[in-house]
Amino acid sequence: MSFADRRRFLWILFLAGLVLIALVAQATTFSRLRFEELARQASGVARLRCLSAESHWENGEIWTETRFAVEETEKGLLGALTMVRLPGGRVGHIEAHVDGAPRFHPGEEVYLFLWGKRGEPFHVLGWAQGTFRITRNPRTGRESVTQDSAATVIFDAESRTFRRDGISKMPVAEFRERLRGALEPAGKR
Amino acid sequence: MIQETARRLGLGGLALAVATFSVQQAQGYSFNQVVPDVRQPASLSGGSACPVRAHRPTGSGSVAVQWSTAFGTNPVAILTQDQTTSGRLNEIEQAIQQSLGVWTGVSGTTLTPASPAPLARTAVANACGSDGLNSICFDQNDAAFTPGVLAFTRVITADRIGEQIGSAISAEVGQILDADIYFSSSDPRTAFATPLALFTNPNAYDLESVLTHELGHFLGFSHSAVWSAIMFPFAPAPGTYAGPRPTAQQPDAPLAEDDRTGLRALYPDPNDMVHTGTITGRILAANPLSLLISPPGVTGIFGAQVVAVDASSGAAMGGAIGGWSCSGAGPAQFDGTYVLERLAAGNGTSYKIYAEPLNGAVNPAAVSNATSSLCRNAMTDAGWPAAASCIVPPVDTSFTTHMRPSP
Repeated sequence: MSFADRRRFLWILFLAGLVLIALVAQATTFSRLRFEELARQASGVARLRCLSAESHWENGEIWTETRFAVEETEKGLLGALTMVRLPGGRVGHIEAHVDGAPRFHPGEEVYLFLWGKRGEPFHVLGWAQGTFRITRNPRTGRESVTQDSAATVIFDAESRTFRRDGISKMPVAEFRERLRGALEPAGKR
Repeated sequence: MIQETARRLGLGGLALAVATFSVQQAQGYSFNQVVPDVRQPASLSGGSACPVRAHRPTGSGSVAVQWSTAFGTNPVAILTQDQTTSGRLNEIEQAIQQSLGVWTGVSGTTLTPASPAPLARTAVANACGSDGLNSICFDQNDAAFTPGVLAFTRVITADRIGEQIGSAISAEVGQILDADIYFSSSDPRTAFATPLALFTNPNAYDLESVLTHELGHFLGFSHSAVWSAIMFPFAPAPGTYAGPRPTAQQPDAPLAEDDRTGLRALYPDPNDMVHTGTITGRILAANPLSLLISPPGVTGIFGAQVVAVDASSGAAMGGAIGGWSCSGAGPAQFDGTYVLERLAAGNGTSYKIYAEPLNGAVNPAAVSNATSSLCRNAMTDAGWPAAASCIVPPVDTSFTTHMRPSP
């Protein structure tokens, strides 16, 4: 493969990735929350492992409640288990899509920026923006973190340039360091 | 077509499109041993039992929307130039009409300016809910809102004919039974301004931009990664708006080409003589033994993303999840087929096709809506005839693609 072909191929892979954001994030308009804002506004921040997810009708709306085991708390007072409540889900033959609201699968590990009152199920702050999924390289075992809202590159059709907003494939140790920095009181930084 | 969505992939239907089944037929499956056409009447789908890709507004006024005139007063969620009661309502309604007009102004689709029914008002404060009515609510404090979420659209679908949500009964699998747009009203720092009021309220978000985006979801779109597309998920900064404002000459001005192509795919106009190109093919494994043996009948890669790129400009022109075909009256065949449609054709236009597994930023769960409803069988529907049954295989993420040198 020539250099030009290789470059073209890589560019196409970028484009192909773009197509899929349509399938990742979905129907919501977000305002941007910087990482520091997320950290400041969150009621709790923790590394969690999804145990189960269940959808049900409540007051005419379908909600999904996801149960997590708390592995490491970075902010807030969380017990060993915590419940996160998100709009949408499937009950029987009916599905309520609230696109942009993240979905979790048993066994999946995430850092979540939680929002809500203590004693009640949490929400995910900023939905896709407050969701940081942990993936493990099967060969090296190294873990990295990707923010849902940064899962793919963004294409500016006018300038024909690519950019990626947010945190993507950041090593867990680096993410934790950045998180702890953002959580520190301003005076201590 | 970058915003091609799960629903675009075959699970969609427009809530208020006039049902083409009679109520009696829609109540349940009336098949005997005949392979039924489960998605649409055979007269419409050509006898295919597979999902139908396009929405079908069936005529004038078939898309109905109401909006709630109940507003918050402290804080004021929607800012207008006109401060009189009636003037305020008219100004907001004009923004809604204009936003709808953006989508109905795209050429080459069956969604026309005549498709929406006259916009209805309701004084009900909490008009958004599972009632079978499509509503826009500006002052419904839904518990789903958190900081960072300005607006969202809740879309309710059914994967079985005869399911009922309020006044809507599903006549097609995947039909949208209810779509409601919620604007954040709980955050005192968040306000939206009509186009007339935006200039004097630079800290407010542009109502028309956000509404046009949410109406895109209402019509079946998901998000686009194209920065300039109206379906890009982040709102323009306060005090600014997305793209040029719509005009009488160009009502779809705020849209990017990406948005337009997506709409043409969602609402294809059979009389469109420009975007007539379809590219179809199959993604096959170099080693067929690497394919899944269970469920049986998988002969191609299932669940790959396929992209058509304009060979001269390098622009991504369309994308789809491929892996199955639906050409007959029987169930889906998992033969690796992909279809890219509504592409501009002629004048020497040519495309390159690229395939990629779903093992990167997007995982198979993200497309499960598109793939999980491809099949029906005795497990999903008791008594379902074997001849029309199939089992959706897991998405194949194990393959790699290689650039082959030109011949």
